[in-house]
Amino acid sequence: MPTSLRIIVATFALAAGISSAATSAPDFTLSDAAGNAVKLSDFRGKYVVLEWTNPDCPFVRKHYTSGNMQALQKEWGAQNVVWLAINSTNSTSYEYKSPQQMGEWMTAKGASPKAALVDATSNTGRAYGAKTTPHMFVVAPEGNVIYNGAIDDRRSSNPADAKAANNYVRAALTEALAGKPVTVASTAPYGCSVKY
Amino acid sequence: MATVLRTLRRLCSDALLAAIAFGLSGVVVAAAVKTEHVQAELVPERTALVPGKPITLALRLKMADGWHTYWRNPGDSGLPTTLTWKLPEGFGVGTIQWPAPHALPTGPLVNFGYEGEVLLLTGLTVPREAVVGTPMKLAARADWLVCKDVCIPEGADLDIELPVADQSDPYPQWGSAIATARAALPTPLQGWQVAAQANGSKVALTLTPPPGAADPGTLHFFPHDEGRIEPSGKQVLARDSNGNFTLTLPAAIQMAPDFKRVAGVLRSGKGFVEDGERVAVATIDVPLVGTLVAGAKAPLGPLPDVDVAAPASDLSLLAAVVLAFVGGLILNLMPCVFPVLSLKALHLAEGHANARVQRLQGIAFAAGVVATFVALAALLLVLRATGEQLGWGFQLQSPPVVVGLAVLFFALGLNLSGVFEFTSLVPSSAAEWTAKNPYVDAGLSGILAVIIASPCTAPFMGAALGFALSQSLLVTLAVFVALGLGMALPYALLAWFPAWRRVLPRPGAWMERLKQVLAFPLYATVAWLIWVLGAQLDNDAVVRLLVTLVIVAFALWSWRLYRVGNSRSWAAAAAIALVSAVVIAWPLLRGGDIDATPPVATTNTGPWHAFTATTVSDLRDGGHPVFVDFTAAWCVTCQVNKRMVLNDKRIKEAFARHGVELVRADWTRRDPVITRALAALGRQGVPVYVLYRPGKEPLLLPEILKKQTVLDALATIAVPQTVTLN
Repeated sequence: MPTSLRIIVATFALAAGISSAATSAPDFTLSDAAGNAVKLSDFRGKYVVLEWTNPDCPFVRKHYTSGNMQALQKEWGAQNVVWLAINSTNSTSYEYKSPQQMGEWMTAKGASPKAALVDATSNTGRAYGAKTTPHMFVVAPEGNVIYNGAIDDRRSSNPADAKAANNYVRAALTEALAGKPVTVASTAPYGCSVKY
Repeated sequence: MATVLRTLRRLCSDALLAAIAFGLSGVVVAAAVKTEHVQAELVPERTALVPGKPITLALRLKMADGWHTYWRNPGDSGLPTTLTWKLPEGFGVGTIQWPAPHALPTGPLVNFGYEGEVLLLTGLTVPREAVVGTPMKLAARADWLVCKDVCIPEGADLDIELPVADQSDPYPQWGSAIATARAALPTPLQGWQVAAQANGSKVALTLTPPPGAADPGTLHFFPHDEGRIEPSGKQVLARDSNGNFTLTLPAAIQMAPDFKRVAGVLRSGKGFVEDGERVAVATIDVPLVGTLVAGAKAPLGPLPDVDVAAPASDLSLLAAVVLAFVGGLILNLMPCVFPVLSLKALHLAEGHANARVQRLQGIAFAAGVVATFVALAALLLVLRATGEQLGWGFQLQSPPVVVGLAVLFFALGLNLSGVFEFTSLVPSSAAEWTAKNPYVDAGLSGILAVIIASPCTAPFMGAALGFALSQSLLVTLAVFVALGLGMALPYALLAWFPAWRRVLPRPGAWMERLKQVLAFPLYATVAWLIWVLGAQLDNDAVVRLLVTLVIVAFALWSWRLYRVGNSRSWAAAAAIALVSAVVIAWPLLRGGDIDATPPVATTNTGPWHAFTATTVSDLRDGGHPVFVDFTAAWCVTCQVNKRMVLNDKRIKEAFARHGVELVRADWTRRDPVITRALAALGRQGVPVYVLYRPGKEPLLLPEILKKQTVLDALATIAVPQTVTLN
């Protein structure tokens, strides 16, 4: 509101030069399993992977029973990439999991994201236009989304497909970390619908 | 109960027919596989396999109530059903012939698929070598995703055994059902000419009906493949005066790179007429002309940075209210408001009414102004709550409003020029009524004052009011009320303290002269509105509006002659003129939804890129600094900045020296992509200037640009570096 008022000053009074060098867009702050607030903008300067997830979705289970998602988390975590798993299942849905339940599930699966976050209002999912679980985003250090879409090119719920597939997230991170532009920056995600 | 009976009867007849079929032809049909939510089976159209002949088999899926399976393009989520055939040697097999899908919304997402029961037909050809008399087993693995609130991947190994025979008959139980399903399959649209043109992030699908075609009612397009058209995006149907239809389709957010043809199913509300029969669905497959850009993705460009904005939180609600109040005061001096309020003041100066009545009129006027501002803000908030992508200034994004305002201002100007008197316009009974109800009259003047002020509030204060709108309801309300009070104050004061009149010369000829002078700012406003319309539509629209204005002038002039001379022929002339003005302006007034108007080629002048959802990210990904100018033709501040600063030679050189890519986001017409981009920057209106610097925070420049500000901002661009990791 204050920024707005500066603008009101500037515009109404037609007084030039009162700059408001502010950027604001829907950053998110979500709760991790331990109840700590995790904020995306805290990871400025690093690559961040956002993984939309839902333990009740067979497409998510495909990537966790095959060990594919855990392997990706480990592989890129070692390269200083921040991996955030986000469950945007609305708290009104019976598939909703509390932060603690999400944490327990991740532990049981041997997963190692930087944090498993619960978006009980689904606001963050809506802000990103997350459609499916899984739906993957890669965020560059300066805050651009450089990949948005499916996890890989095998659009199935069969765990056997996960390993053989061409993984778009791995491809995007490999290119980005090598300082190259991401060749495939956008694909249609596949999976269950996010339970808004 | 009826359902149970029907089911029982169906089961009995099915069993009977199956028994007859079995008895007659020796067909063996494997039992259906029942999963938790689906009953699946392979069913044949004919009773036997005839060597060398085709036969149709169907995968029949019967979903539990409320559950659905998916079409070839599942939409926002889901997965198409698949069939993998295991056939004896020599069989040919086609792909699934998909029935037309239905849109299945789930939350904000939309999927494409089927509920209830569906027959997925596949054509097979029996090998010539098949030996008559031996039964053959046809098997297939079917996999499907069945969803309600949750999704379950299911599958079954299905098979069917059919005898090989010299001839076959329709299969008793399924023959007619399969024939019906085949007849209902969408086939290419007959007789219509279809073309697809890319326009920014929209596809304009132009459908020209054959002569005498019946009205197809609503139209909805289902793309055959993913990554073409956004499944949950709004499709807008418009019909032009030639009877052609334009269906505007939003490009997919995650758009496939090989989107070269627009192919899919059109579902018509009333049906297309083909060979005298109405068919609800038809396929189209046309090349996509032009370059399409992917739909807007959220978030656009930079991710949020709340911390940067936070320190600015040092102004109170009180300060906001005070500033809005001052803004309202300044509105009185704006070219669109000043003449009208001056006129009201002159009316006061003539001093017809007694002091008490005048004071109350002042209050009624203020009430009208405040109420109208609050109503406009409320309208905007409600429209946005319903999902419209609008910001302040939305009034001027609508051509009908621009046309209406142009006519209103022109009429007001003619009035001041003395072409006609308002009192001669309205019937004397109405004039008497307002004279008897001076407060109602004053309140209506207040409403009118806000309406005529809107061409000025949008251009000069769009960004500020947009901000107010993004605050809490209390702040929004307080700001708009304060704005209204500020605007109403000068007039209310004049009404309240009649003493000021003493310093004026006595009423006389000077008043008439002043009125005539005041007409010119109004004509200037009309000229500007015509220019805005030209930017929104095209030259034809401008000519239409100009002709309308000429006829309106004639109508008002002849009406005055009628009132003065009481000659009926002048009244008739005025009426005819008025009707023709409406007829001529009609195409402009009708196109309420700007989305539906035919696309206008964006004038992409010089080094400026047109703004799309991906322009900025593409350019930034290329490592360039990017400057984005969010602007609109109706935004005066924007135009001043453009002419005085952005088009300045020194600034242009500085942009070039720093290798800055320039992007112009033109918000003259409604554009949800730009509205979302503005929202992502925390803005609701224009102008907005953003400088993206490699490796640094994006920099927002002030609404009122100065050359030095731009040069200083450019100086902060670092020497391009490779991305470093930490």
